[in-house]
Amino acid sequence: MLTAAPHLHVRRPSPTTAEFTVSTYPPHPTLTQRLLLVLVGTLRVVLALGAGMLLYAAWWTQLSPSAYEQSNIWLLPAAQHEFLLYGTALGRGAADVAARAPAWALVPLCLGALYAAVKRIHVEERLLVLRGLGIQTRSTPATVLLGWLGWLGSRGGGGANNNGGGGPTRFIPTEKIRDVLINEAFWGFGVRYILVVVVEGEEGARRRLPEAAAAPRGRRGGLAWAKGVSVRRRRDRWRRAAAGEEAEVQGYQATLDRGRQDVAGVGYGRERGRGSGRVMTSRNVITNNI
Amino acid sequence: MPRRTYNIAMVSDFFFPQPGGVESHIYQLATKLVDRGHKVVVITHAYPDRKGIRYLTNGIKVYHVPFAIIYRSATFPTVFSFFPMFRNIMIREQIDIVHGHASLSSLCHEALLHGRSMGLRTVFTDHSLFGFAEAGSILTNKLLKFILSDVDHVICVSHTSKENTVLRAALDPVMVSVIPNAVVSENFRPRKYPPEPPAPNNGFGNATPAVHHLGPNDPVVIVVISRLFYNKGTDLLTASIPRILENHPNTRFIIAGSGPKSIDLEQMIEQNVLQDKVEMLGSVRHEQVRDVMVRGHIYLHPSLTEAFGTVLVEAASCGLYVVCTAVGGIPEVLPGHMTVFAKPEEDDLVVATGKAISALRANKVRTEKFHDQVKAMYSWDNIAKRTERVYKGIMGDITEAEFYGYDVGNTAAWNGESHSGVRSFALIDRLKRYYGCGVWAGKLFCLCAVIDYLLFVFCEWFWPRDGIDIAREWPRKIYHSDDDD
Repeated sequence: MLTAAPHLHVRRPSPTTAEFTVSTYPPHPTLTQRLLLVLVGTLRVVLALGAGMLLYAAWWTQLSPSAYEQSNIWLLPAAQHEFLLYGTALGRGAADVAARAPAWALVPLCLGALYAAVKRIHVEERLLVLRGLGIQTRSTPATVLLGWLGWLGSRGGGGANNNGGGGPTRFIPTEKIRDVLINEAFWGFGVRYILVVVVEGEEGARRRLPEAAAAPRGRRGGLAWAKGVSVRRRRDRWRRAAAGEEAEVQGYQATLDRGRQDVAGVGYGRERGRGSGRVMTSRNVITNNI
Repeated sequence: MPRRTYNIAMVSDFFFPQPGGVESHIYQLATKLVDRGHKVVVITHAYPDRKGIRYLTNGIKVYHVPFAIIYRSATFPTVFSFFPMFRNIMIREQIDIVHGHASLSSLCHEALLHGRSMGLRTVFTDHSLFGFAEAGSILTNKLLKFILSDVDHVICVSHTSKENTVLRAALDPVMVSVIPNAVVSENFRPRKYPPEPPAPNNGFGNATPAVHHLGPNDPVVIVVISRLFYNKGTDLLTASIPRILENHPNTRFIIAGSGPKSIDLEQMIEQNVLQDKVEMLGSVRHEQVRDVMVRGHIYLHPSLTEAFGTVLVEAASCGLYVVCTAVGGIPEVLPGHMTVFAKPEEDDLVVATGKAISALRANKVRTEKFHDQVKAMYSWDNIAKRTERVYKGIMGDITEAEFYGYDVGNTAAWNGESHSGVRSFALIDRLKRYYGCGVWAGKLFCLCAVIDYLLFVFCEWFWPRDGIDIAREWPRKIYHSDDDD
């Protein structure tokens, strides 16, 4: 309901640039969908605040007496903590629950709720192809928090990676690209298309690749094709959308010198890539057009 | 009506890069089926240097499933942990028929079970013979019975193998076909064979290959190519060689292959001081087999058990006179004028070899004609055609009567169960078949089948069908059907 089948959007800001975006965000959200999204967003904020409050109450009520007597815990005098917890109805409720529920059940539950509150609903992966310059990949991080952190970091970093909070980017200059491969690989309990960019001078990544391919994925990890659109229609759409781009991608393939190359996976379809073995889901974009 | 083509998955633990007979059988069959317009994928397990998805010549796609990795990371028995990935491959390749090979391959058994759970047609090819008495055989037989009780059709490589399989798995003989192995005869040409067939209009017609006579003082060279194991009859060979050399001094042996029994052979050579008469080559690659064979005149095959014996066909194709033990499916392989049979015992083998040597010395055997005769008898095209007929039969594209024979429907012994394309996928019918396997085993098999089915239902819900990409197809070949079709 909230997410759509992954769909491709191609943007051509200039004649030598193409950006492929695969996203599960509804392309034309209806009013119901918009309202639902707002509702879910609000619920998530409430959930996060509630879980935070419970954790806080649990921490405070089960604090050891010696720590209790120290003032200025967390920059607040003890009296203010007391007021927060026992001065308001919300605080009293939280303290009550925290006092009754055992810590071993409360803490994991709250942490789980916090995770659910910050987890991203939509997944988006982008591949920007610049003729003569290189390619840039970007994918959404797993949680909203990481997105904010990335955004803050990129602002501090002078805007080189400025991407409007969309998650970490990686730019691979043309001269570093040895090869672009499109293949299938085992991924969890299935087989998926992958786009691999072979980058010069990245040592050891070749070994990581098969392991990454065999790693299990989460329930809806990566942009697995979701329900709704028939495969054929989807495929045709890919084909139409990216027919023009194939030539460009081909153009970036450097001469093959398979002597000593290392694969820097630009991604397996996985929204939370680990380390440098990042991959993007845009694999399907190109794959379906060769 | 356009000719119907199928998407076929060949499943076996045995596939390249590992060498062997089953491996090349799968590859050759797949190649010829692709030539006939079908789509073939091969599913096998991963090797240290070969993982992931690869293409072979002709667009045969090979899935090297990283089996061991899943197996180690999960405590599930392998049987069920393979299912999600298997299902994914079946759906993305739009497979109609699962064709498993080799009864010792657990991957194949699992695939057949899962294939039936998914509602696919299944075929099993048995490449080996088994005993009934040892503990290992009994276990294998029970497992085979479990798997084969729900398979749509079984293919055996020889009639002996068919008999064996029918007995082991308690099958209805009607649903077992015999389709032998074949050889690529171009790869097994005799030494002086004309490299290209003469042009049809050069005025001389078919030039028969030159007759090569054996001179009175030329040594007769006997070639043995086999893995040196007990079941290949190496002990028999070790015992016979000194006696053959004693009776026929102007004879040489070339032995290729390796195995635990090679030490016995070496000891025999040392004891009898036969270093100048017996040459041991060690293991040879399959490509080199022809080069070894053409050095000899007689091929000696002392095997104790053999389902088919492709190597005999290869030897005859190279123009060698064949001496072999009459065990298993061997007597079906070659016509009488190419072979001398022996009982699997020392005395008889010595006598048979002696007969062969004298026949060659008398130049009574036209070995130069063997190649063309073998070429006419064994070809992968023909094997593929016959396999395709089995596929048609189980898919219901040819009528039941045509597939199983017209008398089948009339016999009183026929239990009324429909056998061809309509072998029911209903779980209750499958359970009935499994239940009949034995008092305890039947219940156990039913349990396995039920768990497998539940797993299938779970997969359908957890990884929905329309969430799986359909793989792009290799361009299909267009097959122009010949007159026999």
